[in-house]
Amino acid sequence: MQHQIEHGPAFAWLKVQLAPGERIQAEAGAMVRRTSQLTMDTRLNAGRGAGFFVKIWAIFVAFARKLLGGETLFVNEFHGPQGGEVVLAPSLSGQISHQLLSSGRRLFVQSGSYLASTGTVDTRVRWGGLRAMFGGEGLILLECSGDGDLFVNSYGGIVAMPIDGRFVVDTGHIVAFDGTLDFRVKSVGGVKSFLFSGEGLVCEFSGQGTVYIQSRNMKALVGWLTPLLRG
Amino acid sequence: MQYGILDAPDFAMLKVRLEQPGEKITAESGALVAMGPSIEVQTSMRGGLLAAAKRKMLGGESIFQNTYIAQAPDQDLFLSAPAEGDMRVLELGPGQEFFLQSGAYVAHIGDSLQLDTQWGGVKSFFSGVGFFMLRVVGPGTLFYAAYGAIHEVQVNGQYTCDTGHIVGFGPGLTYGIRKFGGFKGLFFSGEGLVCGFEGTGSLLLQTRNPASLASFLQPFRPVNSRD
Amino acid sequence: MYYEILYKPTHSLAIAHLAAGESVRAEASAMVGMTHNIGVQTQGAAGSGGLFKGLKRAFLGGESFFTNLFTAQGAAGQVSLAPQLCGDMIVHQLDGHHQLFIQGSSYVSAPDTVQLDTQFQGFKGFFTGESLFFLAASGQGPVLLNAFGAIEALDVNGELIIDTGHLVAFTSGIHYEVSKAAEGWISSYLSGEGLVLRVYGQGRVYLQTRNPSEYGRSVGSKLPPRGN
Repeated sequence: MQHQIEHGPAFAWLKVQLAPGERIQAEAGAMVRRTSQLTMDTRLNAGRGAGFFVKIWAIFVAFARKLLGGETLFVNEFHGPQGGEVVLAPSLSGQISHQLLSSGRRLFVQSGSYLASTGTVDTRVRWGGLRAMFGGEGLILLECSGDGDLFVNSYGGIVAMPIDGRFVVDTGHIVAFDGTLDFRVKSVGGVKSFLFSGEGLVCEFSGQGTVYIQSRNMKALVGWLTPLLRG
Repeated sequence: MQYGILDAPDFAMLKVRLEQPGEKITAESGALVAMGPSIEVQTSMRGGLLAAAKRKMLGGESIFQNTYIAQAPDQDLFLSAPAEGDMRVLELGPGQEFFLQSGAYVAHIGDSLQLDTQWGGVKSFFSGVGFFMLRVVGPGTLFYAAYGAIHEVQVNGQYTCDTGHIVGFGPGLTYGIRKFGGFKGLFFSGEGLVCGFEGTGSLLLQTRNPASLASFLQPFRPVNSRD
Repeated sequence: MYYEILYKPTHSLAIAHLAAGESVRAEASAMVGMTHNIGVQTQGAAGSGGLFKGLKRAFLGGESFFTNLFTAQGAAGQVSLAPQLCGDMIVHQLDGHHQLFIQGSSYVSAPDTVQLDTQFQGFKGFFTGESLFFLAASGQGPVLLNAFGAIEALDVNGELIIDTGHLVAFTSGIHYEVSKAAEGWISSYLSGEGLVLRVYGQGRVYLQTRNPSEYGRSVGSKLPPRGN
């Protein structure tokens, strides 16, 4: 499989050339165009080899994600006996980043940032904890593991931030981070800051690894647009 | 202190390194992206309760602002504006003046930088949100952002622009609000009221209009079923 | 007259340069700024076509009923124009022979040497939920188009499947049919792709890297509710 990420950082899309029999799985609704030799299968994103209860759990989680402004239940898989080209794009403006996963590297991805994956890459939903829920930030993480390519998208540009020690990121600006890092969700500053700073909750990372942050935040965009809206 | 602007003009983001303990920067609430572990955040009302209330009423900015103060050497701080677009820095000397559209404010350095909200008059009140100007007087450093790229027009005489596209202008210019293209234009042109500038100086325009995005999104909003 | 495009590709701004006496027509609310000698006339119905044509454009093509005609009076002048959303703009030159079919919201401006008509795409258009009514541009001269995102100009020679929301425009010579995104109706719905265009023939297709409706649903659903 070959791929190109074009038109970034503002409006990146992912172009993928599949060899005969190769497959790529993408978030539902991401297809821009494809050659007519490729077939598209739609399925529930419940992880590989999932049993009945895991599927029920996946449906429950998918609805919860939907309620919290997350993504859809389904993924599309593209493949064909002759191969072909497919172009994928996220719904928001922003960048796409390519990550290689292996047995030694798993990645936590903010649920809205998953675009596509190949190989045996599997995604499992992890809650960011009760405090993240309480803050209404909807910090829902996908734990991505396996062998293959993972493509994540952002709202805004992506900055890779190597961490050795501690670092604080606004929960709305997290795209992904290495599985080697520890994190906890907390409020910024004291009680007054928690109530009035407009920053809500932040995530404090510690250990060694990389955090990928996005330069824009959906919550801030909504706050900026709200006074401009008519009735 | 060191600072730089990353990813301009698509998704400009301000990176500040607070090198010494005690160094600080003040920013619009909600601008924080990420920061080092030893930065203290103080939330306050800029200029006290009355000034803050006036700003909220007139300018649509938030009442609260956050001041980030380094507690240890070499602390990094990242700040951004809410929308897609460019960001600029402006160093103002003592008494130097600049007019900034209030929604464009991101952050500033320097306790003596003055930021006063100006009442744009009754006509500008009807021209839509966002057309309230901040009069900024130095000394200090101002960071401001645009929705879109920043297009600079050197006005020498007269120039007309849409009110939603104004970012800021220098002291050599005056402006007035007027109708666009006659009576029919006021209602049907899609422009409504426009801003007529006069004088000599630099006018900064943003290449996108926040009100256009709001009206594009209008049909996609959830509907309040209780009405 | 000619268009100059600055700040490509994300925040493109088009400047229409007009010689003394020249005019250019633009969609309502596209004006960013203009020199003081520009006269503005707000007109319905693309100037020439009359009331019926204007109504057809507004209701079928998703375009505004009124347009603004900018004229440079006495001396050369400039009008700067921007679309509603972020993204690129391009100029497509019409040669007098080939038509350009433009997805409604992608048209920004053209001089009056270009004629615009709303092309009713027949029954098949009703299925998509997205506007499948095209503005057919003919005549001679430049047409200013905008895209949501970057623009890909694709020379088609064969067959391609395209999401309707990513289409900006295509030249005559391209044929299309609307089809399901996947094999079955249920999976087409679940796939999030709905209906797609199966495009074939020879000609140029302009695509945009983002889908405005998808963006609207993503951001709009997070905004506070509106009254009825």
